Amino acid sequence: MGQTITEKILSRVEGRSVSAGEIIHPVPELVTCHDWYVVNFDRALEEFGVDKLFDPDRVLISTDHEPVAVTPQSAERQKKAREIVAKYGIKHFYDVGRGGLGHIFPVEIGLIKPGMFVEAYDTHVTNYGAVGALGIALVVEISEVLALGSVWLRVPETVRVNLRGALQPGTGMRDIAQKLIADLGDELIDYCVVEYGGPGLASVDIAGRHTLCNIPLEIGAKSALVEPDEATRAYLAPRVTGPIELVKSDRDARFKAVIDYDLSAIGPQVAMPPTPDNVHPIEKALGTPIHHAFIGSCASGNLADLSDAAKILKGRAIHPQVRLYVTPATQEVAREAARAGLIEIFLSAGATITQAGCGPCAGGRIGAMAEGEISINTGTRNDVRRLGASGDIYLASPMTVAASAVKGAITDPRSFLKEMSS
Amino acid sequence: MNWLFHGKCWRFGDDLGIDGAIMPLRFALARETDPMVLREHLMSEIDPDFAKKVKPGDLIVAGRRFGQGNPHIQGFLGIRGHGLGLLAESIPRGSFRNAINAGLPFLAPCPNVTQLCETGDELTVDFSTGEMRNVTRSTTHRFKPIEPELRAIVAKGGWKDHVKQRLAAATAH
Repeated sequence: MGQTITEKILSRVEGRSVSAGEIIHPVPELVTCHDWYVVNFDRALEEFGVDKLFDPDRVLISTDHEPVAVTPQSAERQKKAREIVAKYGIKHFYDVGRGGLGHIFPVEIGLIKPGMFVEAYDTHVTNYGAVGALGIALVVEISEVLALGSVWLRVPETVRVNLRGALQPGTGMRDIAQKLIADLGDELIDYCVVEYGGPGLASVDIAGRHTLCNIPLEIGAKSALVEPDEATRAYLAPRVTGPIELVKSDRDARFKAVIDYDLSAIGPQVAMPPTPDNVHPIEKALGTPIHHAFIGSCASGNLADLSDAAKILKGRAIHPQVRLYVTPATQEVAREAARAGLIEIFLSAGATITQAGCGPCAGGRIGAMAEGEISINTGTRNDVRRLGASGDIYLASPMTVAASAVKGAITDPRSFLKEMSS
Repeated sequence: MNWLFHGKCWRFGDDLGIDGAIMPLRFALARETDPMVLREHLMSEIDPDFAKKVKPGDLIVAGRRFGQGNPHIQGFLGIRGHGLGLLAESIPRGSFRNAINAGLPFLAPCPNVTQLCETGDELTVDFSTGEMRNVTRSTTHRFKPIEPELRAIVAKGGWKDHVKQRLAAATAH
């Protein structure tokens, strides 16, 4: 019997052949945690009487949820995190201004390779699937992994999604990813890995692959990954040291379902309040007035996402009643955006650029909404109070958010593309 | 660990949120983890008297996506605080882990279980075999029990006790 990518990765880690449904205790090759939880895992370890980590060389901490401390309490929390990192001798520490968003920069700097197995505190570690690695989120059980090196895992089944066709103008991978989870449904993908492949994948860049791997966990997928290909190799070759092995599923691997998905059949989509899978064609929300807009997050904060938004914003001004925050996901994205002139376009349009990281999406600690305001943004979730006070949150592509910020109401970005070409 | 429960059925529908329907959100935000505190507020947003009505050994029977939402453990600790068992048609993955971590005997997924009993029925459930007997209706049904490795965590009392035992075993070697 053949194996899925997930089964191959976990078999290699376990040193024996494993298949979906088995309970195992695999030892991850990297463990990640963000700034806000460092104090908490330290407290949990103290409670357990643990003063040494299983392997501090495998641990990565990123200051991304609140890179710029805006209160004395958060400055204090940052200080404690630095002390805790030093106490345990944690090898990979990316503090303010260093890496950026911990679900993205480790891929950029070549720390993540195809076939790698990673566990994390935070849910969106599934982004590592963009280069064919398996990222699994654990929340509080991260303390068990830090102390003992592993935690139980039921080897997940895989839902294979074969992409075909190419994106229509004005449509981004965010539209595809949102529509896809609504189409697949939570009953099908609960506890499964969503694996992307097919002839359409070649046209999807690494940024788009981050987006595809980010969204499915919102409705209960265990993880998501892309079948690595030559584009993966080309992206990673200048970044990683050592060989790159493209781990793919066997032809006779057992999938829970195989879905064919046509990229060319989908136009702009919005996830309407209050859940990320309440997804509708943009026509349903057109004209909804907005006050708050945000482009960034681990779902849509890469250079290609910023570049999509800049195409709409170039030479235009944001509507007077709207404030637009732009958060480059990482230091590298911010630097490249500056080099490409995108930052200048955003600033000229009246946008606010924030420090690399999660931006407002991390609970609205910066750039929050006020009570009763309406936001359209590229964050990961639209639960009530995700961005501070209660108010409707619409999730959409960077192009749709940019177009809506200009008009002051939810707007189809294709209307701008027509203007640009005419 | 006693896996055999005998008590009254308390049936609920689909999509009970972990923060709200099952346990008011404020307890998750306060990081309250004492089952004896949490039990008083179990299902209080649906039925304010629920905590007064249930007895140890009773069984919560729920529909699909029991515990949906941001996976907080408090609701499952509240169920355990009453000594109740749980059967659900499905539990999303984050809450599934929390049910184990709370040391709660449960069965999920249990296809169509909400059609096999109703509130007030007398049930006998063996969580180690997955057998549910509806004494009132004289019917017997069998579901897949939780894996032995995960039942072992429940038997130890949940995640914290499980980790302490793993640590003790690791230092003994």
